[in-house]
Amino acid sequence: MMRLQTRKLLDRAFAGVGVFAIVLMALALIAILLPIFQRGAGAYVFRATVEHRRQMLDLFERGDEDVLVKEMQKALEARQPVLEALASYRADQSERLNEAIGAADRLAQRDDLLGRRIARAVEQLRHTADLRQQIDRLSRIEQLMRPQSTPDMTDDLDLIRDITSELEVQAAQYGELTERLRQLLGPLPGDEPRILPRFRYGQARWDRALIKQSQLLYIEEWDYSDASAMGRRVLSPRRDLFADTALYPLFEHIENDLEAMLRPRWTFYGRFLTDHSVDAHFFGGIGPEALGTFYLTLGAMLFAVPLGIIAAIYFAEYAKPGRTVSFLRSCVSTLAGVPSIVFGLFGLAFFIYTIRVSPGKSVLAGSLTLGLLILPTVIRAAEEAILAVPREYKEAALALGAGRWRTVLTVILPAALPGILTGTVISMGRAAGETAPIIFTAAVSVGVALQPTEVFTQATPALSWNIYNLATEHEAVDEIRHVQYGMVTTLVGIVLLLNIAAIWMRARISRKLRG
Amino acid sequence: MVDMGNRNHAPADDLILSARANFRRKAGAWLGQGILFAITSVAALAVLFIFYFIARDSIPFFASRGFAEFFTDTAWYPSREPGHFGALPIFVGSGLVTLGAVFLAVPLGVAAAVCLSDVLPFSVRQVVKPIIEILAAIPSVAYGFFALVVFAPLLQDAGNKVLMTAWWILAGPTLLLLVMVLGDLSTTWVKNEKHVRAARITATLLIGCVAAYVLVAGARFMGAITIITGTNALNVSVILGIMALPTVVSVSEDALQAAGRELREGSYALGATRAETLCRTILPAASSGILAAAMLGIMRALGETMVVWMASGNAAQIPEPFFNYLMPIRTLTATIAGDMGEADHVTGSDRYHVLFAMGLCLLAFSFICNLIAEWFVARQRRKLGGE
Repeated sequence: MMRLQTRKLLDRAFAGVGVFAIVLMALALIAILLPIFQRGAGAYVFRATVEHRRQMLDLFERGDEDVLVKEMQKALEARQPVLEALASYRADQSERLNEAIGAADRLAQRDDLLGRRIARAVEQLRHTADLRQQIDRLSRIEQLMRPQSTPDMTDDLDLIRDITSELEVQAAQYGELTERLRQLLGPLPGDEPRILPRFRYGQARWDRALIKQSQLLYIEEWDYSDASAMGRRVLSPRRDLFADTALYPLFEHIENDLEAMLRPRWTFYGRFLTDHSVDAHFFGGIGPEALGTFYLTLGAMLFAVPLGIIAAIYFAEYAKPGRTVSFLRSCVSTLAGVPSIVFGLFGLAFFIYTIRVSPGKSVLAGSLTLGLLILPTVIRAAEEAILAVPREYKEAALALGAGRWRTVLTVILPAALPGILTGTVISMGRAAGETAPIIFTAAVSVGVALQPTEVFTQATPALSWNIYNLATEHEAVDEIRHVQYGMVTTLVGIVLLLNIAAIWMRARISRKLRG
Repeated sequence: MVDMGNRNHAPADDLILSARANFRRKAGAWLGQGILFAITSVAALAVLFIFYFIARDSIPFFASRGFAEFFTDTAWYPSREPGHFGALPIFVGSGLVTLGAVFLAVPLGVAAAVCLSDVLPFSVRQVVKPIIEILAAIPSVAYGFFALVVFAPLLQDAGNKVLMTAWWILAGPTLLLLVMVLGDLSTTWVKNEKHVRAARITATLLIGCVAAYVLVAGARFMGAITIITGTNALNVSVILGIMALPTVVSVSEDALQAAGRELREGSYALGATRAETLCRTILPAASSGILAAAMLGIMRALGETMVVWMASGNAAQIPEPFFNYLMPIRTLTATIAGDMGEADHVTGSDRYHVLFAMGLCLLAFSFICNLIAEWFVARQRRKLGGE
């Protein structure tokens, strides 16, 4: 037998374990909700750059054009030094190139077949505008001549080789740099116009712009020298590649004056919830998804709530204990345990392939499937609410001569209504959040907002499905994290609001019942 | 006034129904009840429909490929021509994550339920209940997103630190407690009052050294683990465990409440502490209900789709060794969700029907779990009601 002290200790430890479990649960809830809400809020409230305001004007016709033009002018002024650095770097490069072309000209002076061929190649070269192609052609000339060269040509050939190899490296570095610049600030002057909006604008969000800035300033490399550990990320400044060139000051500008170039400003983008998406969610909002979730939930409720309440009335008021009723109850509880993905399979096999409620995936088929999924929850909640109505109500109604039907319709249902509503609201949250049942029956990845008349035949995007889709299958998963977080926050926010409403309603009912 | 008089007679006439009206009324009630019954049956029998349609579409697969390949083969190549459908790794994957989730959710859930029903005061309970409800209400895709975007990178970059922290938090207090109890128990044979104190301190110190060694060695072991990918069975198990917690807590709390005041008061009267009362009297009395809670937790974890699809790695392989939770796995639900998109184009092929076969297995398993849970609940009711 243990000593009393140890027994007391164990007793306290036992309570401690329970408290620990509850604290852990609360921590888990915070750990999950906090990052979601914190980063999800960033989809609605963020520092929007002038590029965002340009998009809003171009794509949604929002904002004041005159103000924007003035602002854009200021931004372009700030960007001017960057563009000048680029231009003077290009000028230096073509000077170097001209040196090489001069050497090629000297080679072409020879009065033989070789000389004429060189002269023709140089002529072609002069008609090429692109620096890269010019370098290519020059180095091809050099390689072509090298085997047939005479000793007096060696110097010039060497010069051409040195310059072209130097320029080749520089052109590659320059190309990468300008690509980063385009991502940051949008197309550079002289670029071919491109169709996809993601190439037509610079970074619309300041947080993304800072990431792009650091990608521009630093080259990311992975160090695998330690074979036993995983690769280590190494950042090396990109400006080191351009030391002693005209581009060197550019990095200074990008590092210090980016705010002037993009002019970030805190913006509340409330229309994120209703805007359609632009260019596969690179820009714009989540309107079609939110509307799809709304249709699906509404459809599921229209199907499940009447059916569920009728079944609950039957179970609570009419059913006599017996084999049939207990079998029916078993069926309902089994239905509650069916995995959600199996509902999806059933919806596909039954609603779409067998009774053909629609030619393919549709909101209707999805709603029916979701409705079936939440049916047991609705039945249970409604039955509990009906059973919670005090017996006296019913007895009083019967004593006054009301029939059974009348009692149910005029006394029991109104009294049970708040309880039924609570259960309904909770199952609404469930229907809005479910994904698996709608994968095969209703959801598409890309779609427009549906008109109410199209719900019988058309599939729709939905918040729950598109969270999955954007987080795993999108072409640039990392670029649109804010949209993903925004969607998750919206969905979780809707579901939580519904649940909090239900909790509040229930608290009110229990207060009322306690008197 | 005259009218008044007339009215006074009227109710008496109305109260006695003519035979026809009586029949009409009865028939109406009967009909109404019939309609109610019919509608209820439709709602309830939907589950039979589900069974029928899933089974109907899975029969072609078993008819053409038999059972042996599906249940015992480890090669899963559905897109090859001809396909190969060995689903054993997928069954193992489902089993692993379900087991992991249950190991996490049942002890924690039962501890929380005990705390809720017997330890915490009413006012605190009112705060904790909504936490559990909200945990249950968060959509599975949000959990999946968290597992993929927040938890998986954390595991991949600092997995050993996460495991080490978990080890310290869980093993530290447990071992400390164990040392004190063992130190006490190992000296009960010392009868001499003078020596008891010295013996207890010696024993506690000795056992404490062993425990400290175990603690540090365990922490070292955890710290040395490298996690190659964050999307693995461990990640999914933890998240599924959190998702199954609310079910386990609320069902086992109901069971504990149902055990009744008299049992508790009897035990207290015999001099037992609260822990002893709960462990020796209440938990055994509520064991059926707690087992039912575990069953429901298993069902929740097994049937979950989005979390495992997003964060399990979806590799159809049996981990090496088979209990290695740090390897990516693939589950039945994720396979159905992931493959249907492609299999759907070839309706009628084995590739399409094999997914229904998996659905049938899931359905059968959750049906059995449900039956067991219901049986447990019924037994609990009988047991407590009979006393």
